[in-house]
Amino acid sequence: MSEALALPFFQRALAAGLLVGLVTSLLGVFVVLRRSAFFGDAIAHASLAGVALGVVTGLPPLAAAAGVGVGIGFVLNRVERRSRLPIDTVLGIVMPFFMGAGILILSLAPGYQPELLSYLFGSILAVAPASLAVIAAIALFVMPVVLRFRRALSFVTFDPDGARVSGIRVDRLLVVYQVLLAAVVVASIKVVGIVLVNALLVIPAATAKLLARSLDQMFLLAPIVGVGCVTAGLAASYALDLPSGPAIAVASGLVFFAVWVRVSWRRRAGEPSRAEFPRRNAGLP
Amino acid sequence: MPALEVVNLTVQFEGQDRPAVDSVSFAVQEGTIAVLIGPNGCGKSTVLRAILGLVPFRGTVHVFGGPLADSYRKIGYAPQRLAFDQTLPLTVREAIRMPLPRRPGSDDEDSFRHVVEILGIESILDRPLGMLSGGQWKRSLIARALVTRPRLLLLDEPEAGIDVTGEQTIYGLLEHLVTEERITALICSHELELVTEYADVVLCLNRRLLGSGTPEKVLTPNALASLFGATPALYLHHHELHRDRHGPPPESSR
Repeated sequence: MSEALALPFFQRALAAGLLVGLVTSLLGVFVVLRRSAFFGDAIAHASLAGVALGVVTGLPPLAAAAGVGVGIGFVLNRVERRSRLPIDTVLGIVMPFFMGAGILILSLAPGYQPELLSYLFGSILAVAPASLAVIAAIALFVMPVVLRFRRALSFVTFDPDGARVSGIRVDRLLVVYQVLLAAVVVASIKVVGIVLVNALLVIPAATAKLLARSLDQMFLLAPIVGVGCVTAGLAASYALDLPSGPAIAVASGLVFFAVWVRVSWRRRAGEPSRAEFPRRNAGLP
Repeated sequence: MPALEVVNLTVQFEGQDRPAVDSVSFAVQEGTIAVLIGPNGCGKSTVLRAILGLVPFRGTVHVFGGPLADSYRKIGYAPQRLAFDQTLPLTVREAIRMPLPRRPGSDDEDSFRHVVEILGIESILDRPLGMLSGGQWKRSLIARALVTRPRLLLLDEPEAGIDVTGEQTIYGLLEHLVTEERITALICSHELELVTEYADVVLCLNRRLLGSGTPEKVLTPNALASLFGATPALYLHHHELHRDRHGPPPESSR
């Protein structure tokens, strides 16, 4: 492993992975708390159309994906509030439509498209300096915004009406959230790919939720778990010659499973845990 | 100047053939407890939500003489219930602090400690919201509503889901806030016993405002029968008991 750290491509991969692991798991706290995991998935799938447009038109694919992803984030935000269709139905329409459109657009480009697989499943070991710069820019943009609006976003998640009454501009804040989500999803594409993006967006935050005894703890634990999962997946990928994106996804899943087993075991042993919250008073604890 | 003035408030929901709230007008004087009563579906919660700007409405709402849009910092609100994820790792401390903007040099911490003390919730501050009893939950919601030091408190059925002792505690606390801290409260309630005991003004609502005034004036058997379709002799009996116990009606004691 130590010799790998001397290799420039591995250094870039590690830097990209750590940045993405940090920022996705931090925003992932809201994804988990707002139960909007499939929003991230829908944005990721839609961004394939952006990647395809980039490939066909010669634009940087990640930049095109960012444009489409942010646009879809805006649209979904409005649709969620105004559509009479349930949001999961809307997402079920959006995901196959844009994924299909992306593949159709790619089919217009001449010749075989070997990059398609790298966008679908990630290619962190092949992160170019330009892609690393995009990922770093997104991380540097998202992290301070999330930290700045952390309390307000938590309030909106917990009680949107209460947040409105407190003077928080809820609709604007949710637009900001969707934009951040789109940006983070695009940053994740090179690391875990469109198909596996929820591995970083959901699993570390869900793991942190199992362990945390307060929201502050969850915000602290999620990035630690996220960075740990990326590092473990990357190390396994290098040591065992495995594809990096799936290795990170599997490492994240294993960490979650291990924590879940431990928490469940402690619950059976009679120790209090997060998973033990009573559900008997749904809506009125 | 009234703490709250509502003029011709009308709320019409999309797809409904008649307004949920129709041309309701009333005023609540500063330092009093006003209670909205009426049967289920009469529009009590809708009136509160309209006053808070949470549903579109026609008419005007003034808070301490100013328009609603400029008055949010003067209002505290505790809903009847919150449909939130019970496994959310959110402690009482975190929930109460949520409305506080992080301003350097502010007295937010003093305000937080004050509400914790008067609501007696020190021991549950680090407990997750999902593990609270009904009474603890209500106290926490009221604490959150009070932490920004509002002058007008809107409560939607604060007694819902808690036992009789808890009801008395919460209404007693409200009485304390009104008398000691000059807070004005507008409450939706079904508990006529508590209304007779603690309200200064009762507002009888059934989409329209059918009457308003002191409990003695409004809570007559005929008025209640027309509002609820039943003869609530029990409530008047309790009111008489309260008057015997506590002396004159509330408005003359404050």
